[in-house]
Amino acid sequence: MNKTWRHRPPAVFRLDDDHVIVGLAKQAGGSSRHPVQVKPEPDFDTLAITVQESARSLPRGVRWGTLFWCALVGLILLAVGVRVTDLIVDLFARNKELGGLALALAILATVSAAVIAVRETTGLMRLAAVEKLRQRAVDMIARDDRVEARTLVQELLDLTRRMPHLARSRANLEGHLGDIIDGADMLRLAERELMTPLDQQARALVSAAATRVSVVTALNPRAVIDVLFVLASALILVRRLAFLYGVRPGTLGFGRLVRLVVVHLAMTGGLAASDNLIQQMLGHGIAAKLSARLGEGVLNGLLTARFGLATIDVIRPVPFAALPRPTLRDLMSEVLRGFGDGEERQRSAESGDHRSSIERAT
Amino acid sequence: MDELIEQIRLATQALAEFSVHLFNPTIRLGVTGLSHAGKTVFITALVHGLVRGGRFPVLEAMATGRIARAYLAPQPDDAVSRFDYDNYIDALAAKRLWPASTRQISELRVVVDYQSLNGYQRTLTLDIVDYPGEWLLDLPLLTKSYEEWASESLRLSRQLPRADLAKHWHQHLATLDPNAPEKEQEALTAARLFTEYLKACRAKNYAMSLLPPGRFLMPGELANTPALTFAPLDLSTEGPPPPGSLWAMMRRRYESYRTVVVRPFFRDHFARLDRQIVLVDALAAINAGPDALLDLQHALDQVLDCFQMGRRTLLSALLRPRIDRILLAATKADHLHHTSHDRLETILKRLTQNSTAKAELAGAQVDVIALAAVRATREAMVRQGRQQLPCVLGVPVAGETIAGEIFDGETEAAIFPGDLPEDPDELLDTEKKSFRGLSTMSSQNADFRFLRVRPPFLELTDSGVFALPHIRLDRALQFLIGDWLE
Repeated sequence: MNKTWRHRPPAVFRLDDDHVIVGLAKQAGGSSRHPVQVKPEPDFDTLAITVQESARSLPRGVRWGTLFWCALVGLILLAVGVRVTDLIVDLFARNKELGGLALALAILATVSAAVIAVRETTGLMRLAAVEKLRQRAVDMIARDDRVEARTLVQELLDLTRRMPHLARSRANLEGHLGDIIDGADMLRLAERELMTPLDQQARALVSAAATRVSVVTALNPRAVIDVLFVLASALILVRRLAFLYGVRPGTLGFGRLVRLVVVHLAMTGGLAASDNLIQQMLGHGIAAKLSARLGEGVLNGLLTARFGLATIDVIRPVPFAALPRPTLRDLMSEVLRGFGDGEERQRSAESGDHRSSIERAT
Repeated sequence: MDELIEQIRLATQALAEFSVHLFNPTIRLGVTGLSHAGKTVFITALVHGLVRGGRFPVLEAMATGRIARAYLAPQPDDAVSRFDYDNYIDALAAKRLWPASTRQISELRVVVDYQSLNGYQRTLTLDIVDYPGEWLLDLPLLTKSYEEWASESLRLSRQLPRADLAKHWHQHLATLDPNAPEKEQEALTAARLFTEYLKACRAKNYAMSLLPPGRFLMPGELANTPALTFAPLDLSTEGPPPPGSLWAMMRRRYESYRTVVVRPFFRDHFARLDRQIVLVDALAAINAGPDALLDLQHALDQVLDCFQMGRRTLLSALLRPRIDRILLAATKADHLHHTSHDRLETILKRLTQNSTAKAELAGAQVDVIALAAVRATREAMVRQGRQQLPCVLGVPVAGETIAGEIFDGETEAAIFPGDLPEDPDELLDTEKKSFRGLSTMSSQNADFRFLRVRPPFLELTDSGVFALPHIRLDRALQFLIGDWLE
């Protein structure tokens, strides 16, 4: 019978045989006497982990706008540099001490500017990394790839390394890294372990902000202050959520983040309307019938809550796969319940926290 | 007429149960698998994991701590013996022995107290039945007449490699005239030779699957009754058998086999399933060769055809419960390195594609996984010269042979079972018979060798119970009962 099977034939190696060694060969000379090496794999992550480069970096033409701004900023920097140098030289000519002081200040300014630049860059990079992470997670859930999932979970662990209250969740998760768990399951597990406490806090943040906005705009007599307050609370909310999910953007990163949130809102606005905005509008209508100011307050609270939810969508490092996405309806019912009875809301939030901490402990 | 009465009976049963289960949901989990597929081990591991708290990260309710406790409750059926969980787990842990093949039906009930996602205290009851896998092959007989069954059995027995094994029976068959007057001695001899042929087909080297009727292989309490004393006859004429002939006698006994054995078995244990896991030992079939693999495919097709699958609706819940989730599991996945698990899953998908397509069309959810309810091996990379072989480390069962080595059941070995192909059609090519298994080759030259491995040394967890290692058992449970625990 001729051999038609093209694949490798079976083989067996008794571990007590002389020519078989278990573990890594320490000395090079040993390999001739021990032709077979058995290397047990205690953990899955001994595998070589490959990270795929993003295929999205399309070749682009010259970006004239960027070039222009860069050139302009360079020019201004040069001008400022010349002025400062002149100033220092001048001061040295007048008085040595004064010149030294100016030089020291200039150096201090340069160094701190450099530090700020580095921080801003890392902030931006962190934001970009989170975006990329989420995109990869979406792909991964569809493809169910084991090796890729390990890499992703490892990155999630690194991202949350600075959050002390997730220590237990991280330990749990790290314990499962060595098991044979398929890609999508692994990611869902990571989401459940790491994101549950964060999601709870995020919800509390959003509903607190929405309540505050509702109350303030309902009570406040000046429209200008309303606008300012809504804007400020929205921005503060975005910043808090970003810190909560471990992004820590700098000023530039923050600007970019706000832009992303606004874009996301614009894109998903239609969806949300079909979902439950109508109902909310109706509620708002009834509230407006009771009192114009009350209706305005509810509407503003609603907008803040939507802004918060959009921020969560943008900033959360993994998509909502295993855990439920918080909905506007839940949040708004919390807000309406808390309207005028802030104390009770506070208490219920506390008891919620209490319950979650018990869950974590068990 | 018979069929109608049977349907009415099932519907009344379902109605009665529906009202009871409205407040205390009960899931009937059908653990389906041919013999040696690993049903008993699966059930043991499942119960152990739920009751003693296994390492189930993917089972969401367990991982998030929503399961307060799970315990074994008295089973609903007093006439059926209890699933011997304690002895099985004892044998696994202390003696490192797999459970022997199941000889009779047993049943168990697991009650899970849990908190639902919105905070209510709930209880879920899980009914599981264990039975000899051979009996599963009886289910397709429900829709076959004696003549159909006889001609099909004969056709199968004339194909290679079965023809060699059926030689004695065929010789005896040639001396029988179906239209001659009935003789008990002839029937006895025919039944004995037919049983011997079926048993020979089942031997490890051939590992054939499609061997009905199941009670011939595992008679249970019916050994030597007339209901088991029949065999296929070589029928050349059409029409009803002449009265008093051998043919008429065989036919009568076949009918009584169906009514006494098969129908109650189906009614009591399979007609009212909510969820189903189909355990398939594809590796044993691959071990034996292409014929065994094809045979397995046919057997699975026929068996899965007997079940009602489809979306769960109120009407179906009231009158005829349907299976709305089916999990196909290729068992003994620990005999392979995990990098080959995806290929094993593709092979199983290919083997069951007809039945799963039907089930999905009817609205049932289907998933396919590679599973090891108890993981008996570790993994290792073996370097020999320039090639790297992904192996599994384990202690082969005493008497296993590979490449001339005979194992004593104590020595640990690194086993490379052979590369599974990426394209399952390479294995299932009927024309070329592309790979060689134990049915045509000695163990040195076979293209695949999956060795049976002894259970692992079990470690005690912090809480003082044995932790059973597993592969994807938690994923299986999440799919099967996860949504009921929400």
